[in-house]
Amino acid sequence: MDKSLSIRQLVKDFGTTRALKFVDLDVPAGSFTTLLGPSGCGKTTLLRAVAGITDPSSGEIYLGDRRIDRVMPEKRNFGLVFQTYALFPHMSVEKNIGFGLEMRRVAKPDAQRRVQAALELVGLGHLAKRLPRQLSGGQQQRVALARAIVIEPDVLLFDEPLSNLDAKLRDGLREDLRELQRQFGITSIYVTHDQSEAMALADEIVVMKDGEIVERGTPVDLYRRPAYRFTAEFLGLTNVIAADIAGSRCLLPWGAETRVENPGAKAAEGVAIRPEDIGITADPEGGGVVTHAVFMGASTHYNVDIAGLNLRVVAAGGQAAILEQGQRVNLTPPPALHLLQTFAPMREAAE
Amino acid sequence: MSKGINTVRASTIALLLLPGVGYLVLFFGLPLARVVLGSFAGRGKDAPLATLDAWQQLFANPVYLDGLWFSLWLGVAPTLLSLAVSLPLSALMQANESSRRFFGSLYRIPLVVPGIVAAFLVLVMLDRGGMLMRILTPLGLGLPKLVRDPVGLGAILASSWKTIPFMTLIISGSMAAISKDVIAAARTLGASRLVILLRIQLPLARPGITAAVLLSFIGSLGSFVIPNLLGPTYPLPLSVHMWSEGFQKGNWPLVYAMGTLLSVMSIAVLLAYYFLIGFLNRGEAEAQRLGARPRAGASRAPEALNANPA
Repeated sequence: MDKSLSIRQLVKDFGTTRALKFVDLDVPAGSFTTLLGPSGCGKTTLLRAVAGITDPSSGEIYLGDRRIDRVMPEKRNFGLVFQTYALFPHMSVEKNIGFGLEMRRVAKPDAQRRVQAALELVGLGHLAKRLPRQLSGGQQQRVALARAIVIEPDVLLFDEPLSNLDAKLRDGLREDLRELQRQFGITSIYVTHDQSEAMALADEIVVMKDGEIVERGTPVDLYRRPAYRFTAEFLGLTNVIAADIAGSRCLLPWGAETRVENPGAKAAEGVAIRPEDIGITADPEGGGVVTHAVFMGASTHYNVDIAGLNLRVVAAGGQAAILEQGQRVNLTPPPALHLLQTFAPMREAAE
Repeated sequence: MSKGINTVRASTIALLLLPGVGYLVLFFGLPLARVVLGSFAGRGKDAPLATLDAWQQLFANPVYLDGLWFSLWLGVAPTLLSLAVSLPLSALMQANESSRRFFGSLYRIPLVVPGIVAAFLVLVMLDRGGMLMRILTPLGLGLPKLVRDPVGLGAILASSWKTIPFMTLIISGSMAAISKDVIAAARTLGASRLVILLRIQLPLARPGITAAVLLSFIGSLGSFVIPNLLGPTYPLPLSVHMWSEGFQKGNWPLVYAMGTLLSVMSIAVLLAYYFLIGFLNRGEAEAQRLGARPRAGASRAPEALNANPA
């Protein structure tokens, strides 16, 4: 069976608020797609519509060529992992994991074997008899993951599963989660507002804003060559600068010259320069002044005033001397820059 | 010397306990003690100080014993009927926002209607010659006897009219406290609404359900207005006997004996409940002890814990 997921013209209204505006999305079979956006952008609503917990107002969802948007969630065979873990508090760890198998009337010996295997998979084989409240947050989320995987779902859905965990735990579980997904090749959608999480996990990132998809692409493409300013600013730090563009030539406000790689971009908002792509050198004759310097260990973050702009610059740490606040500097742009378009939200008339 | 200190300590403790214990003694203990003592009082001028006359009357007379069983029936039946309605209603209210609003406004209506009014409502609707009868008779349909019937159907219906919203209020509250994500998780794992009700909502709402059952039972056990108006002429519940023994025959020791008996039954049910809860909690504590608490060391070496079961 084809396990790819297609979403067509999906709309969800909550009262007078339109949470999803004619969303189209294809998730290839076995791929890991991340929905990324600020809170209120509709990413969780989209995920819940796919899970069947939220009924879309209109539009269609397909698994392969089977239409599923009117199928009850209990008949979809999708695994869902929640930010709140959502374990059954009155059931032991093994009962929690076995619940889905029980609902599928899997024979008991077979179910027991599969529960045990799932427990081993998430490294919790010794905690089978515990109640959820006796586990740490990270352990609970591992149980939730095992519970979702053990039913061999056609699609795995994650709703900010790592947001309630502390940073160290988050990194470990993130790696495990990705590893498990690769191992089983389950089509996955992962909702997050954390851009670094999205980049670390995804085959493809889908950036959302105000109920629509802004753009989508691989983490590398979206980071290096975003079409829109919204994407550039949401994924990591960036400087957006109004520059003089003539053909592919690009003259920056402080006189440095470089070129743009996409001179044809429509309604250009300016060029994007990542802070780590700017060269910074101490130069008593330089046009820039360091206004702020923060040593971060692996790198140093600067703010530099130049030609009426305040730019962020990140210099790799290591060997370079740390520049002082007030020091005059020269900034060198990268050989090629990227022109950003303005994202035009869907007009209400389109409704 | 130390004796003096002990006295000071004891009186300090007594003084500190006074607000709580004093309140209980004043408003609960004393009236109850008065009722219990009153049941042993003798009647007439040369009666002994304490006698078992009232209790003998109570237990020797089949009229009163039937009354006792009927009181119990009037406590149990509306509670069961209300539970049968309140549980699905509470679960339905969790389904979505519009059903919550619809059922939520519906079940509140009877809450603002006093018991006596509810009893008259049932009387007007269901009695022979009542509204329902007048509607059904031209259609060639009849109704069983629902008012002053031998099993107290009318009284049970009127009591339920009061207890259903009350129970629904408590049970839907404890069901609403269950995380929506937990319900959603169960659904995606393949559970139907019925399975979710039985396996997730009922066990997690158990404290609310038992509290609602107890309060409804105790309330219906001693209800007077409804059985007096709608109940059969025989048997009469103890509450009605209490009224007639006291105000018509002046047999107050018997009234107190009946009151004591009703209180003892309520308290017995309550104690049975606490015992059951304690028993279940002990079972859970046992499971926890066997499961052991999560600790860095424990999670890595569970066999060490098994080796030391104490």
